[in-house]
Amino acid sequence: MKFVDEYRNADLGRALSAQIRAIVEPGRQYKVMEVCGGHTHTIYKYGVDDLLPENVELVHGPGCPVCVIPMGRVDDGIAVAKVPGVIFTCFGDMMRVPGSLGTLLEAKAAGADVRMVYSPLDALRIAKQNPDRDVVFFAIGFETTAPSTALTLMRAKAEGVRNFFCFCNHVTIVPPLRALLESPDLRLDGFIGPGHVSTVVGALPFEFIPKDYGKPVAISGFEPLDLLQSVYMVLLQLAEGRCEVENQYARVVPYGGNERALQVISEVFELRPHFEWRGLGFISHSGLKLSRAYAAFDAELRYEVPGIRVADPKACQCGEVLKGVIKPWECKVFGTACTPETPIGTCMVSSEGACAAYYNYGRFARERVVA
Amino acid sequence: MRVLSISDDGLALCIPDEDSGSEPADEPVEVQIDLVSPVMPGDELLVHAGVALLRLGGGSVRSEAVA
Repeated sequence: MKFVDEYRNADLGRALSAQIRAIVEPGRQYKVMEVCGGHTHTIYKYGVDDLLPENVELVHGPGCPVCVIPMGRVDDGIAVAKVPGVIFTCFGDMMRVPGSLGTLLEAKAAGADVRMVYSPLDALRIAKQNPDRDVVFFAIGFETTAPSTALTLMRAKAEGVRNFFCFCNHVTIVPPLRALLESPDLRLDGFIGPGHVSTVVGALPFEFIPKDYGKPVAISGFEPLDLLQSVYMVLLQLAEGRCEVENQYARVVPYGGNERALQVISEVFELRPHFEWRGLGFISHSGLKLSRAYAAFDAELRYEVPGIRVADPKACQCGEVLKGVIKPWECKVFGTACTPETPIGTCMVSSEGACAAYYNYGRFARERVVA
Repeated sequence: MRVLSISDDGLALCIPDEDSGSEPADEPVEVQIDLVSPVMPGDELLVHAGVALLRLGGGSVRSEAVA
């Protein structure tokens, strides 16, 4: 299949693996963070880490949009969903994310009208079909998803839809990366840059990583050979003493990003002064809210939103997982009290969560099969 | 996703590629194409959350490092 088969070739994978082994220094430990949850899943689905030398460790980053939503924002969403007459819409993953008072799925079971959608456009369609009811969309995601919400709100405005509202939880990728790089908990040698976010923002926003922190970056695609090649590119930079942003995913990611997508984001959204991230706390200028021009669609202005900060359950270590400080199997409740069927933390809920990847692909312990 | 048709209100009816992991699988879905227009039936699009982010080229693709 075009765009797929050529990136899953086992012989090429073994050849890349050999090239990686040839350039790493024996005795040196390498830690490379893959920022995106989609990458984490590819790594474990295809056993990419088993093709790496033992002294090359992949560390999982905060790039899963569901995982970084704090419990308080889930509670806020549930509060809006329980307003009489409201139809509350969200992506499927979000329905199962626990807040302190339960999940949206449980709120639905208790009588709230919560509906799963595949896109903001689906939510707008529901609003047009139900003109006598308010329809709220729980918007989450990084710069990859923000254009979808923005275009839908522009469409709603152009069509004069007055019963469609957005509970905005969009976030941006650069501030948490800077926060991680400033963290004393973590020593990283380089980054596998997020492919889909970069489709929108391009490679330019990641230039601060080599310039300010001296770490190499390779923006990567999502097939196994993409990731192996990206690891090789990061390690080659280290071996050659270089430090720059390279674009392995050049077949999809333009260096300057998608100009039109960036325009619609800046038209519909503006930066919040600060936004809370699960595990990372409040990070300045890391979240988006609706701009003044779209205030009429802002669910946080339309409804009373509690806005109470809620601490994660003590047993849950999603925060440490999201910061790459521990591996999922090191969490006390991983695979026992916390499973995809009965998740305690967001990282086990989302299809992009690191804990879900480890669980679904049988990584329950430290052992790995090094080829 | 592959474009089947374009509607008057600027949406593209698209069918997911096999093995793409898209949901709902095998059902045509409406996609916003404002970011990649003009789009023609038969075009292949990279779609995320109902929006086409990129029109994929028709020829073979390859990865290349650009420093």
